[in-house]
Amino acid sequence: MGFIYEGLLKAFELLFNGNPETWSAVYITLCVSSLSIFFTILLGAPLGFVLGYCRFKGRETLRMITDTLLSFPTVVIGLLVYSLVSRQGPLGDYGLLFTLPGIAIGQVMLGMPIVVAMVANAVENSDSGMKDTLLTLGADNIQVLKATLWETRYHLMLAGVAAYGRIVSEIGISMMVGGNIKWHTRTITTAIALETGKGEFAMGIALGVVLLIIAFGVNFSVAKLKRRAGQ
Amino acid sequence: MSLYQLSNIVQTYGGRPVLTIDSLELTAGSITGIFGPNGSGKSTLMRMLAFLEAPQQGTIHFNGNATSITETSLRREVTLLTQQPYLLKRSVKENIEYGLHVRGLKSTSGIAADALEEVGLSAEKFLSRQWFELSGGEAQRVALAARLAVNPSVLLMDEPTSSLDEESTERIRNAALRAKNERRTSLIIVSHDREWLTSVSDSTVLIRNGKIESTQCG
Amino acid sequence: MKKFAALLLALALLVPAMAQAKDKVLMMATTTSTDNTGLLDELMPEFTKDSGIDIRWTAIGTGKALAMGRNCDVDVLLVHAPGAEKKFVKNGHGVDRTQLMYNDFVIVGPAADPAQVKGMPVEKALKAIAKAKAPFASRGDNSGTNKKEISLWKAAGMAVPDKADWYMQLGQGMLKTLNAAAQKGAYTMTDRGTWIKYMDVNKGKTPLKIVVEGDKVLFNQYSAIAINPAVCPNAKVELANEFIAWMASPKAQKAIGDFRLLGKQLFTPNAGK
Repeated sequence: MGFIYEGLLKAFELLFNGNPETWSAVYITLCVSSLSIFFTILLGAPLGFVLGYCRFKGRETLRMITDTLLSFPTVVIGLLVYSLVSRQGPLGDYGLLFTLPGIAIGQVMLGMPIVVAMVANAVENSDSGMKDTLLTLGADNIQVLKATLWETRYHLMLAGVAAYGRIVSEIGISMMVGGNIKWHTRTITTAIALETGKGEFAMGIALGVVLLIIAFGVNFSVAKLKRRAGQ
Repeated sequence: MSLYQLSNIVQTYGGRPVLTIDSLELTAGSITGIFGPNGSGKSTLMRMLAFLEAPQQGTIHFNGNATSITETSLRREVTLLTQQPYLLKRSVKENIEYGLHVRGLKSTSGIAADALEEVGLSAEKFLSRQWFELSGGEAQRVALAARLAVNPSVLLMDEPTSSLDEESTERIRNAALRAKNERRTSLIIVSHDREWLTSVSDSTVLIRNGKIESTQCG
Repeated sequence: MKKFAALLLALALLVPAMAQAKDKVLMMATTTSTDNTGLLDELMPEFTKDSGIDIRWTAIGTGKALAMGRNCDVDVLLVHAPGAEKKFVKNGHGVDRTQLMYNDFVIVGPAADPAQVKGMPVEKALKAIAKAKAPFASRGDNSGTNKKEISLWKAAGMAVPDKADWYMQLGQGMLKTLNAAAQKGAYTMTDRGTWIKYMDVNKGKTPLKIVVEGDKVLFNQYSAIAINPAVCPNAKVELANEFIAWMASPKAQKAIGDFRLLGKQLFTPNAGK
């Protein structure tokens, strides 16, 4: 018990005295996860919307593929991205291995299916009364499309937050593609995994606390958004 | 004068006929009540009258002209209040002004407030509320206010009183009568409450098993 | 909308900052033992100060480090598996292999020493452990330490244990393996540097004790290898050579010798010897 207490005490010391190693991991995590979630939503939301709104051939198959990708393990994505961005890989010339944009590629792959599936579901299952209401109030097709986009904004945010939660807490991609390089690609999760291995429990606990706070914030927003989205 | 003229209508869902109407004429400037048991095809009829779905066979003439559901202009004359109305995820004011907005009309400040007062909700209290701050009955009345605000020539209401108390039911009746008398709106109302429906309607139509059984003038 | 614009601006600033192409960045793959002990944290800031080279390292097992070298993903290696290293160089993947320092391996085990191996030579000790089916924790990650351990089982004339109940292949770094051995009451083999670090972290309180040490076969040589630019055109061979030269310089060699944990020397410099 003593060492947990000691660890906690030291953890708060690290956080409040601005320990540069600890805060570097926090800063890097926020940088890379922001980058990832930005592109995840940028690419995923329109795709999800099209998938949920339009009726075209192969749509069901695409939906099925997206749903399957939801359970893509991060280490497999990590391996995949590693083999893509390794110097021997097809994207090797860009020098993305051991960089945050490299990690972001993997995290976008992780987050995309979540956003696509959730947005597609939201649009597809959006209250069937919604379209009727828009039409009967006199909207033309373009106006219906615009209003549908706006009506699903909370679902979109919900999808974004859910994807962010997954991205910020993943470790497989950050470790394999980022390499856990101190000051550069050491994120909260890789630091916890490896620093704990090195016996630096206090730093592990400090970072764990930060991660918990982020997770709490994410869950809190999910709960709030769900109410707004009317689920 | 003939408002709607329906001829040889057949509507099927998944191969099963739900509504068959050889001929039905509804007159302008009056309130028509439609009643009948659950699943008799009332809501399907209302959706067709609102130009939200097209019949598989047959024609609907509106004001003497053939119609198609692709014409937005028709839906700017006819509006439907569904049984469980959907409110846009916006403020009450924006909900009421949406119909004006899509018509490219500038909403004068009074319209939304007047429409709210019309359905018996205080504008001061409700205008700035968000959609999630309303009870079921309040949402129903805001939805009605949104339809009144566009000043339709035809107002269709599907079971407008099913979730309301007696006082609110009376208010809907008054709103309907005022719309007919003061704005010359034609109204078509579906209700299972035959007594209430007769009290408000000029004529009634009975539908059973997807067929018109009788029409009578009040 | 304003918020969105601010977000875009922030990202616009962030992306180039991250993608910044620094010419003088040297990427190294190294073993967990050099990183976990804190040696690199001590030495590398000095190197950066002297050379202006921004060195970044990823700490993985020697096997994986060699694989990263083969894939041209790094510029230089700091590893400890002489046999595999020589093969790596012979196959044309690396150049300028340079010996830098050594420490030695020790076999540690529970204080009660259930297989009674204390003070035995390595071969006898391993045979005794296998015979007693006393728990043994192996790195199991193809690292330099793991390769060494495997070679010792072979040298003792035994098949390398695999699916035995008493033989645990962890696939983890050295410190994690030591922690696991302590929890499970198992023997394990470790480099002395990590062992001292482990004692430091646990403030000397551990159920593990050194049971076998000082045997010549337990010698653990660390070397640096530059990745061959003829095979990997991206490899920054000049920077790599600058790094290797610096590590072999009297200044760095002295720093290696002076690096201490709990007052104990972890590595013995031996560049040019």
